[in-house]
Amino acid sequence: MKITKKLLSQSVITCLTALLLPLGAQAASDDAQKMHKLYEDNCASCHGSDLGGFIAPGLNAESLKGRSPTALRTIIMTGSFDTLMPPFYGRLSDDEIRGLVKHLQSTPKLANPAWTIDDIKASVKVIVKDESTLPAKPIYEIDDINNIIGVAARGKYGRGSGSKAVFINSVTHKQIGEVATGTAAHIIDYNPANPRWAYVKNDTAEIFKVDLYSMQVVRSVKTGFNGPGLGVSRDGKYIMAGSYVPHNAVILDADTLEPLKTFELEGIDPDGKMVTSDSGMVIGTPFADIFAIALENAGQVWVVDLKEGFPVTKIENVGRHLHDAFLTHGGSKLMVASYDDSIVTAIDLNERKIIKKLEAGCVPHVGGGAAVEVDGRTLGFGTNFGDCDKMVVSVWDLDKMEVVKQVPVSGGTESPAAHANAPYVAVDIISKDRRARTIQLIDKKTLEVVKTLDVGGHAYFPEYSADGKFLYVSAGYSGDEVVVYDSTSLEKVASIAMESPAGIFSHGRVKYMTRGLSPDEFENASKMKGAK
Amino acid sequence: MRLMALLGALMLGLLSTHRVNAAVIYAGQARAAAVCSQCHGIKTPSADAPFPPLAGRDVAYLKSALAQYRDKTRKSDIMNAIAGSLTDNDISNVAAYYAGLKP
Repeated sequence: MKITKKLLSQSVITCLTALLLPLGAQAASDDAQKMHKLYEDNCASCHGSDLGGFIAPGLNAESLKGRSPTALRTIIMTGSFDTLMPPFYGRLSDDEIRGLVKHLQSTPKLANPAWTIDDIKASVKVIVKDESTLPAKPIYEIDDINNIIGVAARGKYGRGSGSKAVFINSVTHKQIGEVATGTAAHIIDYNPANPRWAYVKNDTAEIFKVDLYSMQVVRSVKTGFNGPGLGVSRDGKYIMAGSYVPHNAVILDADTLEPLKTFELEGIDPDGKMVTSDSGMVIGTPFADIFAIALENAGQVWVVDLKEGFPVTKIENVGRHLHDAFLTHGGSKLMVASYDDSIVTAIDLNERKIIKKLEAGCVPHVGGGAAVEVDGRTLGFGTNFGDCDKMVVSVWDLDKMEVVKQVPVSGGTESPAAHANAPYVAVDIISKDRRARTIQLIDKKTLEVVKTLDVGGHAYFPEYSADGKFLYVSAGYSGDEVVVYDSTSLEKVASIAMESPAGIFSHGRVKYMTRGLSPDEFENASKMKGAK
Repeated sequence: MRLMALLGALMLGLLSTHRVNAAVIYAGQARAAAVCSQCHGIKTPSADAPFPPLAGRDVAYLKSALAQYRDKTRKSDIMNAIAGSLTDNDISNVAAYYAGLKP
């Protein structure tokens, strides 16, 4: 608390000085402004607009204290192997790199910048004015729109021409379209009510409404500075987006992308402290007209009703540092990963309370999760990305809400893939050495690792095609391709080249809600028939 | 008939070269992934990168350039530092790998 106050007052002083000081000092702050611009244009999409870190570490006076400027310059120049940090040699001059290091080592983490509902409103761009001019069906050959697989390509520099969402026909394994996203694409979500719309969110919190039939962006909006949280309501009418910078979330009209209401993310954390919070997962569910959003630092899950005024029910004490989650039981139960106490908390979205806290491995990151029905039981699979002695994938009985097994794997894992028709649950090993090239496959019945695939590159985000016949894997970092395997024989069948592919999102997800469940889970749950 | 025999011999020749090179290319790919790909890409550099593509370049050229960078007879701060870690074997393997890629 003290530190925050100190940082705040420091930045207030910095602002005041910039306003008041005479010419000589003004030149120095001009320089700081120039450096901040350079940071925004090259670093902020990964390291955070507030210098506080996002998908990459924070770069500020505190976090870089005691680090050798020469070593930092070298990392900027050559990049950092086994991470997404690219080499800036030839893109930034030596003077710029020196200037950046000096600037970052002397600047505290910035105060939460403002990005209000008016800013969001003003950022809406209309690219296709009259949507009735769009084609009535796909302009390319495809048997079933669920065969579309979207890949979030980051681009080597996290921005530029390599940053795009790439759409592939998962029967032919050929690219059918792509849309440029400016900065690294991060999440792709599909409209459950209208198959033509996809929503892509990039690392600078812009959302693109994509027409999958003509493969083009029709509208975009900037919801914040950084943050991946994105969900679509079951009726396809609303989108909710959550940010790391600033600490807020917004509900948008899914059709126009106009903001309807913003939410300041703050609350009392499990240790009794009032904190403002990054947004973790945002999820819509086939179970009800609600969104659930995880407040990472506050350790709370908020349930927002999609009705007049968008009222919020707050569920407290869910865990310390929440992140992602997945749905089960027709979308009425939510499994939320909590990093710092290595648990996954089961939440009843109907009762709006915690059911139970289940043991996970170290630093659970469920990455969208996976659930499969085996011999009458619904088993949930949870990945854990901490590097510790206990490297496991957790398996829970989701009916009884108890741990079935902690399956030993060869390293930290980030995302599981499962499909009702595929024999294996695939998990990506992300430990920072040769293991990062591999995907391990867990037999659904024996719950043991039966095979390890060497994909090459940094292999992550496995995803099955909607029919379950093929397993897609991103060979990111140095691999620069998406590799496709036959789900049963595990033979490599195709490769699709792109820069730094990351998350893979099957359109089939709208049918099976959580990967691995039976294909019509979403529809059944919406009709309240098949939900168990 | 003679044509068939010739074709057969050619095929055999191609296959056996392929086999001899396979191990080398695999090792080259692994080394390239660890040392070169950050800038030059595992197949091609980023569209936004200032680094030259290596796919399909002449193998002898790649070998001599890498050896010169390593031995500092050709000057480049960054390449002298990076190629400095490569053995003769690494250089042959990496050169064979990139030269064998379709540009």
